[in-house]
Amino acid sequence: MTNIYTIADNIITSLGFTSKENFDALKQGKSGIKQTTDPKITQVPMCASIVDSERLVTEFSAIGNPEKYTRLEKMMILSITESLKQTNIDPTNEDTLFVFSSVKGNIDLIENENHPFEQDRINLWAISDQVCEFFNSSVKPIFISNACISGVSAIITAAQFLKNQKYKNAIVCGGDVISEFTPSGFQSFKAVSEEPCKPYDANRTGITLGEGVGSIILTTNEELVKEDRPVIFRGGSNSNDANHISGPSRTGDGLYYAINNTLKEANKTNTEIDYISGHGTATPYNDEMESKAITWAKLEHVPVNSLKSYWGHTLGAAGIIECVAGIHSIKENCLIKSLGYSEHGVSEPINVIKDFKETEVRNFLKTASGFGGSNVAAYFSELNSD
Amino acid sequence: MENYISKYCIIKPNEVFVDGNLEFSNQEQDGFGAFMKSIYKHKEIKYPKYFKMDNLCKVAFIASEIILKGNEHIKELNPTKVGVILQNSHSSIDTDTKYNETIKDKSNYFPSPAVFVYTLPNVMIGEICIRNKFQGENTCFIAKEFNPEFISDYVNDLLDSGKLDACITGWSDYVDGEYNAMLFLVEKSKENKKDNISFKPEFINQLIK
Repeated sequence: MTNIYTIADNIITSLGFTSKENFDALKQGKSGIKQTTDPKITQVPMCASIVDSERLVTEFSAIGNPEKYTRLEKMMILSITESLKQTNIDPTNEDTLFVFSSVKGNIDLIENENHPFEQDRINLWAISDQVCEFFNSSVKPIFISNACISGVSAIITAAQFLKNQKYKNAIVCGGDVISEFTPSGFQSFKAVSEEPCKPYDANRTGITLGEGVGSIILTTNEELVKEDRPVIFRGGSNSNDANHISGPSRTGDGLYYAINNTLKEANKTNTEIDYISGHGTATPYNDEMESKAITWAKLEHVPVNSLKSYWGHTLGAAGIIECVAGIHSIKENCLIKSLGYSEHGVSEPINVIKDFKETEVRNFLKTASGFGGSNVAAYFSELNSD
Repeated sequence: MENYISKYCIIKPNEVFVDGNLEFSNQEQDGFGAFMKSIYKHKEIKYPKYFKMDNLCKVAFIASEIILKGNEHIKELNPTKVGVILQNSHSSIDTDTKYNETIKDKSNYFPSPAVFVYTLPNVMIGEICIRNKFQGENTCFIAKEFNPEFISDYVNDLLDSGKLDACITGWSDYVDGEYNAMLFLVEKSKENKKDNISFKPEFINQLIK
């Protein structure tokens, strides 16, 4: 069977511009969420995780003209550049596919009528056009907009195209930026927490929004693998609740099917999972539904966390940066504590990680759920770990 | 293994084609909403949630209803093996723009959750899944133009790998009064079916010409 290796990654969030900076912060239990009263984002004080704009422009200036690109495009180009530094793959090669994920793309342009870009830049495909042109890619890119599961969907789609040998390498990049659009919408749903979000906790009161970009490079070419024990993508699947467009299933059936199909594809059972990187948005319904799906899959004993309390819900980036963090949990053999969790607040006895722990981690399951009733799961493990 | 198109529907401004035949046209030329409503009535669709949908969902939903008519066996398949995979160009920009109007003016600030929820393109897939209780693979791809080569690659792979038994797939786009939907019901091949159209780009391109 063809192995799909993860060979490079990057995370850009409020916690830093590299995977290392971000993962070090997670290990220290340091959150990037801060209160903001920026009128361009919110009409009422709100917590959010915001990327340092000055640093973005400074770092971007070393590789391109920051005025030519939107805020999201700059982050994506920077993130991919950082990932590419870690490998020898050629982004211009016809064997290299680009897969993008974003929920709202350049939504900040819709709010600012005086932006300096062409009108069609508001389209999601315009973003992939810009980024692919920057890297002189010769291949038609794939763009996914699947609400909150977009990032994991993008990784699974990329893996599917590697598996059927259409391409040898895939550069997967996803992200979203915060403007007024998304916060106002979630506020209208009364789904935004006043304080930093507390996934799975009894006192959770909703989500904290964040912005950022993640990128990950996958390959089937063994020669590009530098590590002795690389992390490989083993399987992934998505499903629909078919229940409600803005509320998760009460039973967790959709997420359960996604987990079940993923484990089937990865040829794994419920006793072979070391860690679950949950979705954990900290809304009452989402976390409750997740606890039911995890328990239904007989995974309630497996340590689980949500990283949303570190960098907020970063929408199109979330699935990618949380998979990258999972890969680093394997590489550094540690479990990140689920920040904000102190009193168990879901009906099922899932095993939420209370304290940072150094322990052997050979694999993990990533899950996510979102508007439109979508659910997704993906499974990664170290080569030869079983 | 080959997968075949068991039914397809193309909705263009004021015209509906089913399996290549013009099935319905609007002589009145009175805009998207009225045209969709006339198809809704003509097809005897009864689904009150339709009237809450945004225009992107409406055009995708109507096309899905048309291709599922006469194919009731799809609803008897394992629901986790029926997928909905769509592609579009303008994402949810039409509703994004409408939603933005509600937050633009701070003295007239009225963001609505009922509008906000439609600012996601994959919600059109969610609506089709809810209506029919489909629970399989569901992904919304964005591309400037419909890409039959990509969609057929992706969907055939899901069917061939056993993840899906049937899939509603194609293109659905709506922005600023302009719309276009091309939906296909794709199933695994059955030997006794005669006039099978294989779900391959060369055939898809002929059908949508």
